[in-house]
Amino acid sequence: MKPLDGIRRSKEAGKPVIGCFPLYPPLELLHSMGLAPVVLWGLRGPVHDADRHIQNFACSVARRLAQVVIDDAEGLFDGIFFYNGCDTLRNLPEILQEGREELGRDALPVFRVHVPMVPAEQTDASAYLRNEMQNLIVCLESAYGLSFSEESFAESVALYGSARALCLQLEEAVARGGMAFSDFCDTLMSANFLPVEEQIELLESKIAVAGEERALEPSSRVVVSGILPPPPAICKLIDDAGLTVVGNDVAAFHRSYARAPQEWSDVNDYYVRFYRDHFPCTTLLYSSDARFKALTSMVEASGADGFVFIGEKFCEYEYFELPHLEEKLKEKGVSVLPLEISIEDESTAETYRTRIEAFAEVLAGAEATVSGTS
Amino acid sequence: MAREKTNAGTHLTQLIVGSYMDAFKKWKEGALVVWGAIVIPAEIFRGFENVVYCVPETHAALCAAKNVGPELCQRAEALGYSMDLCSYPRIDIGWVSGGRKISPTSGLPKPGLLVSDNNDCSLLTKWFDVHHRNMNIPHFMVDVPFCYGPQEEKDLEYIVEQFRDLISLVEKMTGQTFNIDRFFKASIQTALAMGEWKRFLECAKNRPSGITAFDSFAQMAPFFTSRGTPEMVEHYRILADETEERVKEGDFPVPDEKYRLLWDNIAPWHQMSRMSTRLMELGANIIAAPYTLCIGGLEGSFELFQFSLDKDPLWYMARTQNMSVCPYGLDLRTDAMSWAIEELGIDGVIFASNRSCKVFSVMQMDQQRRISEKFDIPTVMIEMDHADARKFSEESAYMRLEALLENIESRRAAA
Ligand code: SF4
Ligand code: SF4
Repeated sequence: MKPLDGIRRSKEAGKPVIGCFPLYPPLELLHSMGLAPVVLWGLRGPVHDADRHIQNFACSVARRLAQVVIDDAEGLFDGIFFYNGCDTLRNLPEILQEGREELGRDALPVFRVHVPMVPAEQTDASAYLRNEMQNLIVCLESAYGLSFSEESFAESVALYGSARALCLQLEEAVARGGMAFSDFCDTLMSANFLPVEEQIELLESKIAVAGEERALEPSSRVVVSGILPPPPAICKLIDDAGLTVVGNDVAAFHRSYARAPQEWSDVNDYYVRFYRDHFPCTTLLYSSDARFKALTSMVEASGADGFVFIGEKFCEYEYFELPHLEEKLKEKGVSVLPLEISIEDESTAETYRTRIEAFAEVLAGAEATVSGTS
Repeated sequence: MAREKTNAGTHLTQLIVGSYMDAFKKWKEGALVVWGAIVIPAEIFRGFENVVYCVPETHAALCAAKNVGPELCQRAEALGYSMDLCSYPRIDIGWVSGGRKISPTSGLPKPGLLVSDNNDCSLLTKWFDVHHRNMNIPHFMVDVPFCYGPQEEKDLEYIVEQFRDLISLVEKMTGQTFNIDRFFKASIQTALAMGEWKRFLECAKNRPSGITAFDSFAQMAPFFTSRGTPEMVEHYRILADETEERVKEGDFPVPDEKYRLLWDNIAPWHQMSRMSTRLMELGANIIAAPYTLCIGGLEGSFELFQFSLDKDPLWYMARTQNMSVCPYGLDLRTDAMSWAIEELGIDGVIFASNRSCKVFSVMQMDQQRRISEKFDIPTVMIEMDHADARKFSEESAYMRLEALLENIESRRAAA
């Protein structure tokens, strides 16, 4: 399903659609208030209107997000929510409004939260975040005439909790060889744009047909990491090369659904825990120390001997950590394949074929040598 | 004919050299060395007896100005740091990783503490994280909420709270007690220096302008190397006095000034003298830049923000955290630039789209449109990188700059 079709489904359900960025907005809260939040990540398609507002040295995520929100000829969006993201994203809210104005689209209500980017052991910012969340609730109530209740919030938390658990199950299906990585990525990207209730249906239907465990070639196990999953054609190359994705550190996937609070006292407390204990991500500045630990244990636990880094061209957050990550993984005997994907490269997956196949051969060769079968 | 070196120019060199030597000396004597981001209030560290403060961004700018930027960038790239990353961290990582001899100052003294902030840019936190991992030293992250409008009280209080935590950390690391009087005095020195700085910048109002933006780029360094000291106040007093005197005497950097331009972005460090000379030959003077006009102001305003003796200096430091253009949004930037265009009688604006600095640049296309619509002046966008000369095409930039001047000329002819 195309992203905009998913957003249309929410719109048709009669709920105000809130376009959200970056990756970890308070979805449960927005949903509990009768809104339809959609994370504007993984959009595809050409960029034209946005190029009059953003230089081409911004990443594809930001340019595509801007294109969809600026263009919005169907009036799909009823509001924008954002929290402090990277250096490109923080400039976007005003640019989006400029672009919409230029095309004669209505100005959108904009909601903002500043998520503290400090390690908890350095500064206790929980009171600040609680206040931010409270302000957000007040602003949403007044903008849409809706009201917040802890009961509805708990129901939404349960729904999103189910969706997250299903994503993890699907991930396991891929790891045991019961589902192609390309199918997994396609499913999760489609789910991202659907209302959470439909996400659950889609994920359950996929789990029902996921195949049984098959014996994996030990040498073909890899972890895939990046902001976005690889474009579909590259996912297919990964499958075709015989690589099995036994772990993923993709921001739009595992980093988004791996953890959420199991206990909380109220909505504010939920989000204090949600951000503080979030699966580490390059975009959560306070989590970088934890990130290296989390990644090395992911690699160890999954038995991966390869690591595929899907570099989003121009993403400083990701690229600053790559050299250290590469070094640490190589020390552990894990081979690393860094692939850089730019907006122009996505349709030319063939250029990646040789590198992916060669990487798979190297992994297979290393394993054969270790087990003495060469 | 080249102008004589000014007393302020000579004094600047002495001050900068002295501050680097002083930092190395104190480090050898056992002081805690802090590497801090450009807008971290160094006055806090002046509140300690034996703590020195260095700014890697300023050092990177110096390397770029001395034309060793690309060489140091390449060292970082060889370690796997992408060429798309900002050139300041690439320069910094480059000298730290065995390139110390390439640096004009032999680098910086070894730090014991890193203090980043994420308001000029959040990649700075990532950059300091690289050192944090490689050097195994603490990294204190100051989190400053971005401003789309005037800074809110809740954000100010949050910043003050973090400054308090920073003070506690330094106390713990050094065993020294934070001396509030020393801190207060340092804050006053900075406030006085800001007054002098603004007096210097005011000389751009004269026709012809008493200064070029290139002067202000070079002269901003003491704000980072000597912040909170009487030496900084003295330097900016010498600078402002001498510049005013020259204006009175009719001594101008571009005597035949036909075009008064504004530069929007970080200084093109590797182009300083070439660009000013080439423009001078055309009767053009880039007389100001938001990059230096902003020092001493608040978000969205280039006017001096007055220090108040009745307020806690931590409050003042937090209130001015967003002054440096990058930490504020399009509406505020348009306000500030509009003020500069009107006050300084600007004929044209150069938007320098800087591949390294997304915070400064991703927004310029809309700002350019707004400014062109609001003022009847031509604008141009050129591509550059402020510190990596490999990413700057001189000829294509000058073609555009010449087109800008022709545009100004033809509008004048049509008026
Ligand atoms: S991919 Fe990186 S640069 Fe792009 S929006 Fe995300 S964090 Fe920012
Ligand atoms: S991105 Fe911009 S603000 Fe950040 S370090 Fe580089 S030049 Fe400075």
